[in-house]
Amino acid sequence: MAESEEEVNVLVQRVVKDITNAFKRNPNIDEIGVIQCPEARCNRSPIVLVENKLGVESWCVKFLLPYVHNKLLLYRQRKYWLDREALGDITCTLLLLNPDFTTAWNVRKELLQCGVLHPEKDLYLSKLALTRFPKSPETWIHRRWVLQQIQSRKQEQGDAAQVDGERSHQLSDHLARTLHQEMKVCSNAAGRYPSNYNAWSHRIWVLQQMAKGNVKVFHDELSSMRLWVSMHVSDHSGFHLRELITELSKTPAANTITTCPSQCQSVATPSTSPHHHSCARSNGQLSRGDNGTDEEERQLSSTTVLQLFHQEMELCSDLIQSYPGHETLWSHRRHVFYLWHHWKREHQHLSSSDNSSSVNGNRQKVESHGGDGGLPKVNGESCADQVESQKERSPTVEPMDVDVLSLHDSKRLKRGVPLLSITLSSEHSFLDEIMDRCSNPEQRRFALAYEKWLDTVIGQRP
Amino acid sequence: MLDKHADYIAAYGSKKDDYEYTLSEYLRMSGIYWGLTVMDLMGHLPRMNRNEIIDFIKACQHECGGISASIGHDPHLLYTLSAVQILCLYDSLESIDVDKVVAYIVGLQQEDGSFAGDKWGEIDTRFSFCAVATLALLGKMDKIDVDKAVEFVLSCMNFDGGFGCRPGSESHAGQIYCCTGFLSLTGQLHQVNADLLGWWLCERQLSSGGLNGRPEKLPDVCYSWWVLASLKIIGRIDWIDKAKLRRFILACQDDEMGGFADRPGDVVDPFHTLFGIAGLSLLGDDQIKPVNPVLCMPEDVLQRNGVQPDILS
Repeated sequence: MAESEEEVNVLVQRVVKDITNAFKRNPNIDEIGVIQCPEARCNRSPIVLVENKLGVESWCVKFLLPYVHNKLLLYRQRKYWLDREALGDITCTLLLLNPDFTTAWNVRKELLQCGVLHPEKDLYLSKLALTRFPKSPETWIHRRWVLQQIQSRKQEQGDAAQVDGERSHQLSDHLARTLHQEMKVCSNAAGRYPSNYNAWSHRIWVLQQMAKGNVKVFHDELSSMRLWVSMHVSDHSGFHLRELITELSKTPAANTITTCPSQCQSVATPSTSPHHHSCARSNGQLSRGDNGTDEEERQLSSTTVLQLFHQEMELCSDLIQSYPGHETLWSHRRHVFYLWHHWKREHQHLSSSDNSSSVNGNRQKVESHGGDGGLPKVNGESCADQVESQKERSPTVEPMDVDVLSLHDSKRLKRGVPLLSITLSSEHSFLDEIMDRCSNPEQRRFALAYEKWLDTVIGQRP
Repeated sequence: MLDKHADYIAAYGSKKDDYEYTLSEYLRMSGIYWGLTVMDLMGHLPRMNRNEIIDFIKACQHECGGISASIGHDPHLLYTLSAVQILCLYDSLESIDVDKVVAYIVGLQQEDGSFAGDKWGEIDTRFSFCAVATLALLGKMDKIDVDKAVEFVLSCMNFDGGFGCRPGSESHAGQIYCCTGFLSLTGQLHQVNADLLGWWLCERQLSSGGLNGRPEKLPDVCYSWWVLASLKIIGRIDWIDKAKLRRFILACQDDEMGGFADRPGDVVDPFHTLFGIAGLSLLGDDQIKPVNPVLCMPEDVLQRNGVQPDILS
């Protein structure tokens, strides 16, 4: 084992070179790690490349890290000269070992700005670092910076080539690819560390920055993450993302964009993009008819929102019943109900303020049940059972204008499956059912807390 | 036990090998703040090397006015706050160029009122807190657009009364601490929904007595501090079982070597040692100096500096 300073220098320089060569030999390395190995083995490099996995033997890390760390700091203080290539290699080694070393990422930002490093290379390096350090805040921060660089470069190119259809086609493909890649990186990190705040807030940032108001992307997110959250019922962050997307999907901006292709292009996908068609189609297959009115658009998009809420509450109920005693699921229920409650109220307000507008064609009025609105009678199937149980306990529930429920092209309704209503009383029925059947003390505790929350936070509001 | 904790901190700086030192050098300035603050809270500050530390801070101030975690590292708001906190403990703010620090912070405020952590532009409510906390300690709050800064922080408030790192982000006890602290320093605590937020914060207490930072996470001494301090700031500290929390924090001590860990049985470190001791202080332990919940500094130091952040009653 190397001991003298000179020997350490020689060893470390060789190892840095081995790492650089490993990346040249296999550009598809997808994971890094430390191999527990207390002693050096003769004439063997401590860098091990097996298939797409790069390993560093643990004995050399304690020499390697201080050496590259100090070299970089000396360079930063202008006490030691490193050429650009060496800087790239040293920071790469350094960050794979200690990715929270902010200054090393900053050195790479400078190299990127002067064109020595390619942005894709840093997306790759940070992705690898996250396989070993899935929380590393500085790695996520660097990633966001690189993505912004790429975005603004593309923007400049896009501005310069506005009339060049071929070019803008490429740009939107690039955006879709980047989006997909980021989602993959986030999912990977979320799988490696539960409730990974940095990974999930990065995901939110990406959706906010790159998919601004694009309901197609939002809905793809919801459906693609459905299985994931069902398998990670303690992951509060995963559910938070669903809550946020639900919230974003119900905002007028998101829905306007859905039904307005021109706006959709300008925000997310430049012209001639294949995405703009899918975007226009995205909102529950809501293609806009030529004689469509604003009112109709509003009603159509509200169908989708309504469906979204129902699907989310249904998922939540299923999971609460299948996996008793998970605070995350009950917290999710609070948030979704809260969003629903407010959307419903806002929507009622809108509907009652201009319910004189005529809506033609493909919308069908749904029959309301008693004072417990929102409960549709579809294809002759009655939801009376639920109504009865809800009527008993819902003196406070406001009637909901079921005009908001359009049946247009709703797959679910076509199949004749009724949407269960979401009301304060249906929530109480759900709770009664849980309390009746449940022997899990945690589940009971969360159920009682939810009941108290409904009574104080929701019940109190005018 | 307090003497053991002080011995642990006093010995911490000297026993590190190269490898461990380099691993954590990127946050050295905050490490020094944790160590010195806990020593001051226990009445052992004179054991630390004042002159060496002040010289170190001077060497970490950059041309732009910002301060870095260590020599040769890049400046950042996180370490600028830590450095200013240390200098307040030592009553020697004059050692650095204060006007330049102020200019550095002013330069990081964005149009929407948020703050970037450094010149590369990352936005986070933590940085809003760092900015106003530093300016409050320097008595220069008027140099930034406070209204805009408040607007941004409030835009990060969630339905549960909590706050996240950016608009739309999940509520997180660490971010809540930063945001309630921010609103305290800017005199805007009335904008918090104290009952709703208090509710969420209380739900962080687990059967062990310890507090977690988000639903279904493990209890942790540092989250216990962030939640407890936030409850104190919004005047709801009596909503949790204080005796149980105290027992949890005490169980995280290393009885032989001193210091606190994140959870009982884990390895101790200075970070959790500060938040363990500060938590005990907020819970009313009279062997420890009273700690300020907003700035996590001894109250007597803040009185000397004329800083009195708001607390809801």
